[in-house]
Amino acid sequence: MDLGNVASLSLFYPEIVLAGTILVLTILDLVVANKRAMAYLGLAGCLVALGATVDLYGTEPTLLFHRMVALDNFSLFFKVVTLAALVGAIWMSIGSGEVRQVHLGEYYIVLLTCGFGMFFMASANNLLMAYLGLELVSLTSYILTGMLPHNRRSAEAALKYLIYGGVASGTMIYGMSWVFGMAGSLDYATINAAMAEGGGNQIALFMAFVFILAGFGYKMAFAPFHMWSPDVYQGAPTPFTGFLSVASNAAGVAILIRFFYPAVSTLGQEGAWAFQALPALQWTDLLVALSIITMTWGNLSALNQRNVKRLLAYSGIAHAGYIMMGLVVLNNDGLNAMLFYVVVYLIMNLGAFLVVMIVANATGREDMDAYRGLAWRGAAFPAVCMMVFLASLTGLPPMAGFIGKLLLVAAIIEGQFYVLAVVAMINTVVSLYYYWRIVKTMFLDEPAPEDGPVAATASAMPLLGALMVLTIVLGVYWAPLLDYTTGSLGFFMP
Amino acid sequence: MSDAYLPILLIFGVSALNAVFMVALSHILNPRRPTPQKAMPYESGMIPLGDTRARFSVKFYLVAISFIVFDLEAVFLIPWAVEMRALGWSGFVAASIFVAVLTAGLVYEWKKGGLDWD
Amino acid sequence: MLTEALTTSALLFVIGTFGVLVRRNAIIMFLCIELQLNAVNLALVAFSRYVGVEGQVFVFFVMTVAAAEAAVGLAIIISIFRHYRTVNVDNFNLLKW
Repeated sequence: MDLGNVASLSLFYPEIVLAGTILVLTILDLVVANKRAMAYLGLAGCLVALGATVDLYGTEPTLLFHRMVALDNFSLFFKVVTLAALVGAIWMSIGSGEVRQVHLGEYYIVLLTCGFGMFFMASANNLLMAYLGLELVSLTSYILTGMLPHNRRSAEAALKYLIYGGVASGTMIYGMSWVFGMAGSLDYATINAAMAEGGGNQIALFMAFVFILAGFGYKMAFAPFHMWSPDVYQGAPTPFTGFLSVASNAAGVAILIRFFYPAVSTLGQEGAWAFQALPALQWTDLLVALSIITMTWGNLSALNQRNVKRLLAYSGIAHAGYIMMGLVVLNNDGLNAMLFYVVVYLIMNLGAFLVVMIVANATGREDMDAYRGLAWRGAAFPAVCMMVFLASLTGLPPMAGFIGKLLLVAAIIEGQFYVLAVVAMINTVVSLYYYWRIVKTMFLDEPAPEDGPVAATASAMPLLGALMVLTIVLGVYWAPLLDYTTGSLGFFMP
Repeated sequence: MSDAYLPILLIFGVSALNAVFMVALSHILNPRRPTPQKAMPYESGMIPLGDTRARFSVKFYLVAISFIVFDLEAVFLIPWAVEMRALGWSGFVAASIFVAVLTAGLVYEWKKGGLDWD
Repeated sequence: MLTEALTTSALLFVIGTFGVLVRRNAIIMFLCIELQLNAVNLALVAFSRYVGVEGQVFVFFVMTVAAAEAAVGLAIIISIFRHYRTVNVDNFNLLKW
């Protein structure tokens, strides 16, 4: 189905709820003195939007607003992920000591706007919409990164993010302009049809796609476009870092899949969801190489990091590499594994950043020394949770991360990308070293005399417990989530 | 097509050469008798105080930021204005919503103190 | 005409990219990014003369986003100037560039 502007509104209510929340918060920011209430209102708005999104799930794939926005289970899945990350981030922000220093009203407005942009990244069916969604997320991310007042690190990270982001998006739209010139349209379906006819110069087309990949890859922190990520992670307020690490990654995955599947692949056999890369663009080899470089670079750089936020940034780059493995196999299994991993990564990485925030609240520090003997300094529960999250990030058996990695590796072995599978295995072993160094510091190292007791932030405890339970439960009983991701692969195919 | 522009190119060339020639000639021919008075920026005016390359107040940047954002309003309104009759009432409503959203932004900026000079 | 426009656009884009990589003044780097965006605009307008009006619509949105980016960018540069009294990126040393 293909709806016009007014008819689309009836299927657009999650976005309307979120946009309404943003507008109400903007007005309240001017008149209300108690900014803490705004956090709860934002949380409520996100939960209502979440309900609306779940309610829409399963509707027939439809194109809204004259083919600009696609409404299908795939986009709804990523909207649920984004909203879950938003709820987590707002909850974290309520308890965060860092966030208390910023202009709270603006902080929540911009945070929700960032999530709103991710909605459009997940559902864009047109290069223009993809660009606008991506830029909305980028601009709000720059603001949130530089929001900490009187903090040089934060301002510096924001400037760095801005310059890298500007170059990446400039490169991306340069590629888009060439695709537009050769395909004659910005609409994904028309681009697909034009490519299938073999329109355009092959080399120019390939260059254009590399340029576009630069823009998308930068959102996912993909080597060699990852340089911003460690600094931004370190400089930004921790709740936003947690949000950025999971939601920006998820949105990058969404925009990438939507571009590389409906726009530049053709559906092989109906029903089996086997795709074929268009002969004009043999992008699988390119993506295999990028995936290997990304995960190896991320893991090797993480090895000697002393700052835990920076370490998690490099680990995030490595995970972007893992997630990318699913894209190259060109079938349903790979995509399914990617979506599964996105959810699992959301849970475990948000959890890890929550513990970082709790320690930073109590000690004001983020380096490894602040974690010395954490379990024996009155923060046994956060320490145990951190161990669970790190075990899951490594991919150890009873945790959700193991299942996620297993699905990805199984998909690429089935697709006969053996080199990629071996590299992924070696990388997992490398990552074991730096993750478990944190665990060792928390449990086996003696606290130094100057390390005071750590008072765990009370408001963060329910969220921490929930994330830990989910990490373990999904490692044992993953079938419902797998069913959900399988059901979410309903694209709007041209 | 490019033939038609040849005279313009000639004029550019001649005037550029002429200018360079005049400056060079006066530089070569003039006698030089420097005095401190002649070296001053205003020979018979006030003695300037301080460096002329003073930094602008940061307030100007705030105005500049607001300007570039609201400046773009025109880019979207002109296409509508050109085709206003063809677009009819639906176009008018869309343009009104657009302006209303921008006005809300302006009000927000105003209330937040973005337009206060001090 | 298309070839000339695209060549100019490619040249502008290369100048912009090169400028970002070489210059060390944050505001000049930012101007170079704007130059990249204008190269894109030129390419889009040139293409849309042949393949359709969508490209010109894209140009409007690129301009808008560029203005928003300039606003955010200037604000960030001002805030960093307050800390360091300079906008030379070589002097920003808390994070590794």
